[in-house]
Amino acid sequence: MLNYIWAGLIIISLVFAVSQDVMDLVQNPYQNGKEHQIEIIFPENGDPDERQTVRFRIEGHEGTFEAAWRPYTDNPEMIIRVDEEMPELWRNIAQDQDASNKEELLAEVVGFDRTTNEAAILLPKVHYVKLNAIATAAFNMAEFAVTLAIGLVGIMALWLGLMKIAEESGLMYMLVKGVQPFMRFLFPNVPRGHPAHGVISLNLAANMLGLGNAATPLGIKAMEELQKLNPSKDKATNAQCMLLTVNTASIQLLPPATLVALIGTGVNELMISILIVTFISLIVGITAAKIYERFHPEDAHDENIPDDQKIEA
Amino acid sequence: MRTIAAFILPLIIVLIPLYGILKKVAVYEVFVDGAKEGFTIAVRIIPYLVAILFAIGMFRESGAMEFFMMALAPVLGFLGFPVELVPMAIFRPLTGSGSVGVLAEMIATYGEDSLVVKMAGTMFGSTETTFYVIAVYFGAIGIRRVKYAVQTGLIADVAGIIASVIVVRILFG
Repeated sequence: MLNYIWAGLIIISLVFAVSQDVMDLVQNPYQNGKEHQIEIIFPENGDPDERQTVRFRIEGHEGTFEAAWRPYTDNPEMIIRVDEEMPELWRNIAQDQDASNKEELLAEVVGFDRTTNEAAILLPKVHYVKLNAIATAAFNMAEFAVTLAIGLVGIMALWLGLMKIAEESGLMYMLVKGVQPFMRFLFPNVPRGHPAHGVISLNLAANMLGLGNAATPLGIKAMEELQKLNPSKDKATNAQCMLLTVNTASIQLLPPATLVALIGTGVNELMISILIVTFISLIVGITAAKIYERFHPEDAHDENIPDDQKIEA
Repeated sequence: MRTIAAFILPLIIVLIPLYGILKKVAVYEVFVDGAKEGFTIAVRIIPYLVAILFAIGMFRESGAMEFFMMALAPVLGFLGFPVELVPMAIFRPLTGSGSVGVLAEMIATYGEDSLVVKMAGTMFGSTETTFYVIAVYFGAIGIRRVKYAVQTGLIADVAGIIASVIVVRILFG
């Protein structure tokens, strides 16, 4: 399933990007190749044969804009500073152009009248916007993924250390005994008294309170505990699928911090609706997982599991 | 409830080592021993996270989302699902930051007291970025074959999305 969704996302992206770009080639929304008429205002005593900063007026548009004037022997060039007052077309070209600096437009001056200072310029051509965009997005997100993962190192280490102390001191054992009945229902294949039950309950508690910094590391730790019971090392067990389901559909006693930041005090009203909705989705999620469980009996060979952690029949 | 949440983390962080000391555990040594795994696990997640995030990033930029919204809108509208909520419903399981953007935009357009924003906010608070969770949780332990976890995660999300509309309509409608 994940294979199809993943490939689907990539293929659909390509199809849509290509069709959008082909449509752009036909409709030419950036008016590639159009000569834009402008009037250049040189500073007093400014010599058009020298490099300088000029201002210019766009035909049929209010206001003047700044540009650097570069008089080369064949055609002069202008490096135009992008301005919010510019026509929308110009701003769109600047935004979607191939150059990395979106604040500047490099224009080629194709016609220049020294007496009236009127000029015709060509703005950069804009091609294959969407194809470039999806490629850039792919690279950026790949980088972002590493940032996210590395950001986990610290809190991950903190919680792993604490959990180890909890295990050695027997605190985990006390917790496991307390949550046993409920956990036995959700994770029937995890043996009685297994530390996984304790970590899972902490993970779920952190999740309910919206404590992201604790929920994720504890969830990973819980997955690790369940992995010790997994006979095949790269295929999920029913218990792991259940843990994932209850994590994505966790009851929320408190709204997430981002929601509070966005909606402000209005969030208090939403606490009730969120509580009810998460309760519903949790029930649905658990039911769905329980139904899937029936059709996916656990792999029988469990020789990799240490004797004291054998799955009960 | 907010007070409990504020107290619970510091309490746990202090109580666990405290209990350890009382039980004569070499707390510092044990902590370091457990914590050294942190880096390995985080690094192990990277390939899984890269795979999921880059595909979603491409999809987001391709303009396919807008197309699906346009295509789905009449169908969902017919079923009584507010058309304005389609972006949120599609974005939410895929990307956290993307759905924050959608919500912020909806607040700016419809105002935070409007019914659709209440629905979108409830949706945002009730569902998870399922694909991210799968990448992180299963990536950390090297699970590649996720069995039916995607299905159950998405079923729960869809239930949350539909329930948001109904519950908010009953409570505030």
